[in-house]
Amino acid sequence: MVRHDVVVVGAGVAGMRAAIEASRYGADVAVVSKLHPTRSHSGAAEGGINAALGNASEDSPEQHTFFTVKGSDYLGDQDAIAVMCEEGPGDIYELEHMGCIFSRTPDGKIAQRPFGAGGAPRTCYAADITGHVLLHVLYEQLVKSQVTVYEEWFALDLVMDGDRCVGLTAWDLVHGGVQGVEAGAVVLATGGLGRMYRGTTNAYACTGDGMSMAWRAGVALKDMEFMQFHPTTLKANGVLITEGCRGEGGYLRNAEGDRFMFNYAPNAGELASRDVVSRAEQTEIDEGRGVDGCVLLDLTHLGAKKINTVLHGSRELAMDYAGVDPIEEPIPVRPGSHYHMGGVDTDVWGRTSMPGLYAAGECACVSVHGANRLGGNSLLETVVFGRRSGAAAAQDVRSNGSGGVFSPSAVRVAERRIAQLLYNFDGVRPHVIRDELADTMYSNAGIFRTAEGLEQCVADIAHLRERYRDGLGVVIQDKSRTFNSDLIQALELGSMLQMADCLVTGAVARTESRGAHSRLDHPDRDDEHWLRHSLTSYDDGQVALDYKAVTITEFEPAVRTY
Amino acid sequence: MEFTLKIERYDPDTDQGRLQEFTVDAPETATLLDVLDVVKDTVDGSVTYRKSCRMAVCGSCGMRMDGAAVLACKTPMAPLAEEGRVPVISPMGNLPVIKDLVVDMDPFWAKFKAVKPWLEEDDRPPVKEWRVQQEELDRIMKEALCIQCGCCVSECNSMEADPDFLGPAALAKAQRFVGDVRDRDRSERLRMLNGPHGVWDCTRCYFCNQRCPKGVDPRDAIAKLGAEIYSEGMLSDKGARHAQVFDMSTRATGYLLETALVPYTDPLKAMDVKFALNLARAGKVPNPLKPHRAKKLDEVRKLHKLLKTQEAAARDERRAGVSVDREEPAE
Repeated sequence: MVRHDVVVVGAGVAGMRAAIEASRYGADVAVVSKLHPTRSHSGAAEGGINAALGNASEDSPEQHTFFTVKGSDYLGDQDAIAVMCEEGPGDIYELEHMGCIFSRTPDGKIAQRPFGAGGAPRTCYAADITGHVLLHVLYEQLVKSQVTVYEEWFALDLVMDGDRCVGLTAWDLVHGGVQGVEAGAVVLATGGLGRMYRGTTNAYACTGDGMSMAWRAGVALKDMEFMQFHPTTLKANGVLITEGCRGEGGYLRNAEGDRFMFNYAPNAGELASRDVVSRAEQTEIDEGRGVDGCVLLDLTHLGAKKINTVLHGSRELAMDYAGVDPIEEPIPVRPGSHYHMGGVDTDVWGRTSMPGLYAAGECACVSVHGANRLGGNSLLETVVFGRRSGAAAAQDVRSNGSGGVFSPSAVRVAERRIAQLLYNFDGVRPHVIRDELADTMYSNAGIFRTAEGLEQCVADIAHLRERYRDGLGVVIQDKSRTFNSDLIQALELGSMLQMADCLVTGAVARTESRGAHSRLDHPDRDDEHWLRHSLTSYDDGQVALDYKAVTITEFEPAVRTY
Repeated sequence: MEFTLKIERYDPDTDQGRLQEFTVDAPETATLLDVLDVVKDTVDGSVTYRKSCRMAVCGSCGMRMDGAAVLACKTPMAPLAEEGRVPVISPMGNLPVIKDLVVDMDPFWAKFKAVKPWLEEDDRPPVKEWRVQQEELDRIMKEALCIQCGCCVSECNSMEADPDFLGPAALAKAQRFVGDVRDRDRSERLRMLNGPHGVWDCTRCYFCNQRCPKGVDPRDAIAKLGAEIYSEGMLSDKGARHAQVFDMSTRATGYLLETALVPYTDPLKAMDVKFALNLARAGKVPNPLKPHRAKKLDEVRKLHKLLKTQEAAARDERRAGVSVDREEPAE
């Protein structure tokens, strides 16, 4: 049993930024993470982080806000987007002073490149390893701030006193055993859930654990149906090739060599928003103009020098995982599940509907991305709202004290559950259910969706959840308590099944096409009925659906073309 | 495609180790990590290793294949299978094993933390970014690529002899800050790195460079640190004095003065008669009264001076801070 003022779950950029901020307020802070912080998936972000610094062209936070609202297909909350875009530049300067080695302009300022649908070169970058650089800089600052880190502790469940969150239980992976973590306030920063799809850019760790913890505790999840498919991922294993390749001037070509994007986005071409580009690619592939299930990302005209300096990491990935040197030949790419716009419903300070519980980063939905996120806005979100939620949580503890009583029985209940899982010998191996889930999500809840497919998916997930039986339907072969990654994978599968259920329930109901949610049977956006957020909540293990209004301040919804 | 591998298992509960062979089917594009996943999913769920990103950026899956450190996710298996090779997969070296391929990284991170791994800056609140030329940042780009996977540490010969040696990963991290023009703690850092278990304890075996999966070249980073320490005139360590003999004797004779090497580097060692006799017997002690001398010593000295001047000029230019600037807060 340990106790801290503020406990952050997850140690990616959002989580570490939250922890650093909370400690600046004098709070006793701890981070609980199933991975060592530098193993977090933020490190895989490549292309950059948006902020209207105006270093490469005239720019303003208002411009950034407008293009983000438009990119969100008007589902983003405009007050939240304005906060992010206005505070972004300050956060970038702070990161730079923390040591981030942003690439530079000739006069020594932070360089900025164009990204899809941004309207201006606004994306700050460190070559094409921006997330890696940010993640390591924040870890450096975390070490400096002397925040306690419980590495390789897998968070199990939130613990409540009445309706207030007073901490959580976690499984200590290295030593075995459930730990009670008592907290004045908890910040969830556990990242995304892309692993429920076959063909994803996401790390194995991206299984929606934090979202599902919040959901089980009765906190509503927002806009779960919106899953972004990134246009340029490698066929063999879904590895991401950055949008920066197109930002630096790369082309997308079909089998005939045509730059097909101009047929879909006459003005923006390759730099249209991600939902538009992914749909265009899938259409080309479906209509027989693909190359072995892919289209071609052509960088050959950029030249070896440019590729070796600002796209060095992408070259390495293409050579390692596609056997292609992009200096010599185009890279075969296809759309893959990449970023989940939905998440724990929060306000602009990361507050959820549950006192004492905050959320930030991909696991949260503020919402700044609405129905489609712009490239370069996710790292910005993690930094801005990580900082804000850390500050809010620390202030919450200062004014509310410990908040409530952490009942030790929570630890016993969790211990008993783990023991049951470990000593179950009846059922299938977790990968059987995981693979079926990934297949049905890919086939039925992918880039193009239909009522028929989604209903099939709902039925499939219900069936898989029945087979999983809260974990008692799968066999964990590793019976030991030391570093039992077999157990963790079985628990992660539970999170994915619950979150897939929420995602698909939201998707069936939304009978329109908006941003990344593209319904072939309802091809148009329907503002009259669907300009609203979906809310999915826990109802005795099943998913209850509700809605809430979108905040519109400045920009009235308009037709979205690129 | 069929893949066969042997995994070095270790069960912490019974303290038993064994080598276990597995044969599984996986796609031709499979990496070592993919093959391990098939083994874990379908054959034996207790086979244990770390993983996450599977794209060589998170640094989780460092392990050894046939005795050499690799990232499992960056290691294609088809070429081995085609040769009929059955690789032995074992945990990284120089770190305690927890279970199977999982090692205890705590000693690794303790060394990371020991080099004060953060930028030391003035405390004024940031108003805008530091004005820095790209070339300045390029100097630390290689070190910044490091993903802290531990492959270099696994292979480090010096650490095998001295477990307290800071080691290639932590030293490369240190160079990332020493080489950063924005850092104001350079001298203090160099003083610390010049101490015991520091920069000079590297044996220059270059295994770290060879096994690093990200091209960080930790040995090169260590060499840069050595050069920085030497140029600061910090000569307390044998390593620095050893370098100084080379410096002085090339200037004096155009050759290495072998007879000065040991006495200057390590006077106590020079009094070790047995050691000296052994050297002499092996023909390693030339006549101290007749040192080798370069035929065109003037030329050598000119060259020596030129290098020194260039080095000093570059250093002065960087220290003058011409390329680092920050904007003052507006009143």
